[in-house]
Amino acid sequence: MTKTINLTLKVWRQQGPKDKGRFETYHAKNISTDMSFLEMLDVVNDQLTIDDKEPIAFDHDCREGICGMCGCVVNGRAHGAEKGTTLCQLHMRHFDNGDTIAIEPFRAMAFKAIKDLAVDRSALDKIIQAGGYVSVNTGGAQDANAILVPQEVADLAMDAAQCIGCGACVAACPNASAMLFTSAKVSQLALLPQGMPEAAKRALNMVRTMDELGFGNCTNERECEAECPKEISITNIARLNREYLNAGFFSRSI
Amino acid sequence: MNWITGTLGSSIGKKLLMAITGFSFCGFLAAHLAGNLTIYGGKDAFNGYAAHLHALGPLVTVAELGLLTFFLVHVIIGLILFLSNLKARPVRYAVNKSAGGRTLGSATMPYTGAILLAFIIFHLMNFHFVDKTDTTIFNIVSNAFSNTGYVAIYIVAMVAAAIHVSHGFWSAFQTIGANHPKYMPLIRTVSIAFAVVVGIGFGFLPIYIFLLA
Amino acid sequence: MALDAKIPGGPISEKWDRHRFELKLVNPANKRKFDVIVVGTGLAGGSASASLAELGYNVKTFCIQDSPRRAHSISAQGGINAAKNYPNDGDSIWRLFYDTVKGGDFRAREANVYRLAQVSNDIIDQCVAQGIPFARDYGGLLDNRSFGGAQVSRTFYARGQTGQQLLLGAYSAMMRQVAAGKVQMFPRREMLDVVVVDGHAKGIVARNLISGEIERHAADAVVLCTGGYGNVFFLSTNAMASNVTAAYRAYKKGAFFANPCFTQIHPTCIPVHGTYQSKLTLMSESLRNDGRVWVPKNQGDNRKPDQIPESERDYFLERKYPSFGNLVPRDVASRNAKEQCDIGKGVGETGHAVYLDFADAINRDGRDVIEKKYGNLFQMYEKIMAENPYEAPMMIYPAIHYTMGGLWVDYNLMSNVPGLFVLGEANFSDHGANRLGASALMQGLADGYFVLPYTIGGYLTGTPKADVTTGHKAFDESEKQVTDGINRMLAIDGKRTVDDFHKTLGHIMWDYCGMARTNEGLAMAQTMIQELRAEFWENVRVPGNTADFNQSLERAGRVADFLEFGELMIIDALARQESCGGHFNEKFETEEHEALRDDDNFCHVAAWEHTGDGQEPEFHKEPLVFENVKLTQRSYK
Ligand SMILES: Cc1cc2nc3c(=O)[nH]c(=O)nc-3n(C[C@H](O)[C@H](O)[C@H](O)COP(=O)(O)OP(=O)(O)OC[C@H]3O[C@@H](n4cnc5c(N)ncnc54)[C@H](O)[C@@H]3O)c2cc1C
Ligand code: HEM
Ligand code: SF4
Ligand code: FES
Repeated sequence: MTKTINLTLKVWRQQGPKDKGRFETYHAKNISTDMSFLEMLDVVNDQLTIDDKEPIAFDHDCREGICGMCGCVVNGRAHGAEKGTTLCQLHMRHFDNGDTIAIEPFRAMAFKAIKDLAVDRSALDKIIQAGGYVSVNTGGAQDANAILVPQEVADLAMDAAQCIGCGACVAACPNASAMLFTSAKVSQLALLPQGMPEAAKRALNMVRTMDELGFGNCTNERECEAECPKEISITNIARLNREYLNAGFFSRSI
Repeated sequence: MNWITGTLGSSIGKKLLMAITGFSFCGFLAAHLAGNLTIYGGKDAFNGYAAHLHALGPLVTVAELGLLTFFLVHVIIGLILFLSNLKARPVRYAVNKSAGGRTLGSATMPYTGAILLAFIIFHLMNFHFVDKTDTTIFNIVSNAFSNTGYVAIYIVAMVAAAIHVSHGFWSAFQTIGANHPKYMPLIRTVSIAFAVVVGIGFGFLPIYIFLLA
Repeated sequence: MALDAKIPGGPISEKWDRHRFELKLVNPANKRKFDVIVVGTGLAGGSASASLAELGYNVKTFCIQDSPRRAHSISAQGGINAAKNYPNDGDSIWRLFYDTVKGGDFRAREANVYRLAQVSNDIIDQCVAQGIPFARDYGGLLDNRSFGGAQVSRTFYARGQTGQQLLLGAYSAMMRQVAAGKVQMFPRREMLDVVVVDGHAKGIVARNLISGEIERHAADAVVLCTGGYGNVFFLSTNAMASNVTAAYRAYKKGAFFANPCFTQIHPTCIPVHGTYQSKLTLMSESLRNDGRVWVPKNQGDNRKPDQIPESERDYFLERKYPSFGNLVPRDVASRNAKEQCDIGKGVGETGHAVYLDFADAINRDGRDVIEKKYGNLFQMYEKIMAENPYEAPMMIYPAIHYTMGGLWVDYNLMSNVPGLFVLGEANFSDHGANRLGASALMQGLADGYFVLPYTIGGYLTGTPKADVTTGHKAFDESEKQVTDGINRMLAIDGKRTVDDFHKTLGHIMWDYCGMARTNEGLAMAQTMIQELRAEFWENVRVPGNTADFNQSLERAGRVADFLEFGELMIIDALARQESCGGHFNEKFETEEHEALRDDDNFCHVAAWEHTGDGQEPEFHKEPLVFENVKLTQRSYK
């Protein structure tokens, strides 16, 4: 049943990358527990606008947990404390009347600040550019059923392919490592026969690029897996390690 | 040689080195512990074990040099990783909570590692680089452990070692890519079990000797 | 102006082949001399950017989101159609073509639809080659399911995330070209104008959403792939940034807008539950394969669903459509749900919902089977509604989901402005008055992978190369217009927020130009929109300034366009004095309350030309000629 709650928000405000940033306190009143977290922010922003203050900048688009555009750290947890949930799918019923909520942006050297809660995650695109594809031009593909793919393999590939590129794994990782993201793409394509011809080059290039972009190193803390809204497993990281080491030592690619 | 440095110099490559060296320390610890257990057999048994070991002569030296190299690699790369991970998040979170992935072990690797580093230096100075001409190793050990301060240091270090390997052991498997749904639960259990064995096995020795003395 | 769709001659099955042969080719060495702008990175824009770059063109691609991977296509759940006939159940190119034309209530262009069905198979081949993990059966072959009431299983899917997987395929193909230096990617940019020089589209003006800078980009052709305008209703299943701005500004630059009143309502969405709500969530249509739709027999029955005995439930779809039952097409299912709620039988707190009950299916097949089929959907429902659909029936209500209308394009996907191509949901082309489930993904990828790469060459070779630079005065004018518009909005400093206006507009559109329309309602709505628009320009409050990351300003621009565009929809709805597909005018219905077409007078595409701000748009007609299918009255009894 719908009820309403009042909250105190401590929101990170930062004008731009050069600004140092600080927390500001806002009061969110009469918040329906059926609202999503972002709808709660909408309400706060409406009030700020009316009060002649600048609304809080935050990224979002689909609001159904699939585009990967939303994401903040809520009370120390990327996308909030609910398991397998993006911020846009986090509902206010998981909070209690009178709660204080700290809202911070995803923080990592590779994610430059833009404004308030919005950060630049284009580094993730760069990792994909380094090899997160199968090199087939349009046209000329053989019949889709020409190569059989065991259902189990297709399922495993799909498990990895579900990554929405939100960057919560980076945000949650104590080392700001992007291994879960990178491993998800490498795994998807390494598992499927279509991706195999380039597997070695892909693993080498994607890891190299990831390193260059200033992400941290994985120390197997497993925070990413616990926080990932798509519950991507760290078995993918093990697979990436395998693929990479195999490629590094035993393939002809450099 | 480019491909070697390229491969080993990457984040995964460095981790591989940590895993190989760390895992071999685990092996070393196991062997070292087995040897030390002879102390329960009394003075002669322990001295006998030491004598056997030294009788291996140059082999021991080779092993020692190997261990030293591995040790340097482990420590230096561990430090590099620690620093670069700090740098990867220049602005820290004001509120920071775990989602349940981290363990005591994983969260403290660099710190338990640092304790171990300090301890190992201390340990070698006490028991390895000492003049053993007029005495036996058993005497050195029992002398040291009659001192409560020494006992305390050893116990702290062994707790640190237990915590370090509680994560390190399984982590090394994950790092080399050995994560299989059928075996991973076992590896994680062994990891904890090994930590307990290391902690109690090494940790109880000084207490035993202290009580003996 | 005469609307020439440039449909090639010959039998329908040979038109595309013949046309491809007749189109002039661009010499491979010359391709790199051509710059092409692609706006949008959904299935249409992503696939077009990648394919054009592979051919050698220099592509500049723009999107609003921070990454091209986040385009709205990502949220498509159900699947993508193709005429592969893998299940051996009688499908064929011809059948897919026929179903699409019929499903569209005979308001689509035959030749385009046929081509779509033809290339549908290539799409699946291409996607599999890209490493898209489609669902497979135990033997390792691709699995198909039946979707949206189709009689054959022709839908390929990747769990409940088909759009995501297809988009990531197109995205990665595009990322490969970014790495190769053939695609230059401009994320966080909003196109605000098309620049037309001597009648040809030669570039765009866009706002850098981070710095606020107005940028100019010139090219030899411009391709709009900017998606649908469902957000004119405020609440829809579309992503928050989905807009009509790109298409509408092109319309203002002379491109015709076709059939804007053709919008699609999806029957199975999670109902609205509060005024703060920002969007509606779709529950895949596949749920209707096993769920039974019902309402209480008696009005105002407030009992919990499990306390309402079988005899007091009305399974209205099964009752009214015995042969199709719960699987009637989207428009029919939606209208019936609305009808039940309108007569006071709706359920839930708001009374704007009907039940979708899985109890029988669970009893019959077991919970495991149902979980395997719909697990992720049930989970999503539970997350939003905090109710367990395994135990209590789901509540659903129709919502705006897709827009069949869009910029008018010819067979080459080029608008009436030469050099301006329009792909994907942004054009009007293939779905007539109603789109079949799993056909939008097919169309977006067909356009981008397999149609545009040929047809754009025809335009580029057939047009003398004019090297327009961003210094051209057309760019000056465009930029000035855009900047003035922005400054004007910022200067108003009124009392109502942008969203507030957007919500009011949405209510007007939903009430009067939504699922069922009347001439009186439409006329009234037109006045209401005019008044609302006038108020917007006096009373909107847009905080902040332009040289900044200013999300309120972004939204304000989009809402300003919706406020004009909404009226165009209404004008189109009023002009179309018939019912067909998604356009249902209560004056025109059969005795069975089905849409009653008027093929004698309205078998055409209505294309509207902008004639100036505040002026009536001019109507142009493209008659639809059906040589291969017979026009029939749809019936799902
Ligand atoms: C919830 C949901 C489920 C669906 N499920 C299915 C399904 O199962 N099967 C099916 O066939 N169809 C489905 N559809 C429909 C289908 O997803 C869409 O029609 C299709 O994806 C549209 O693709 P597009 O490439 O035309 O546009 P979009 O994917 O909408 O992309 C638009 C692009 O244009 C950019 N853009 C827009 N305006 C501007 C501007 N002014 N400046 C710069 N860039 C701009 C955006 O940033 C974006 O990149 C579904 C739709 C919804 C809403
Ligand atoms: C007996 C001594 C030691 C043993 C048995 C040991 C064992 C291990 C093991 C198995 C790992 C895991 C490697 C991986 O995750 O792949 C590890 C990691 C680590 N060790 Fe040690 N180690 C010892 C001493 C030290 C010392 C002296 C230091 C520090 C100065 C240290 C610092 C670290 C650090 C920082 C890591 C984490 C690196 C990472 O996960 O990326 N260790 N250790
Ligand atoms: S792996 Fe998970 S947390 Fe990381 S980007 Fe992908 S979906 Fe987000
Ligand atoms: S807004 Fe798309 S995942 Fe949250």
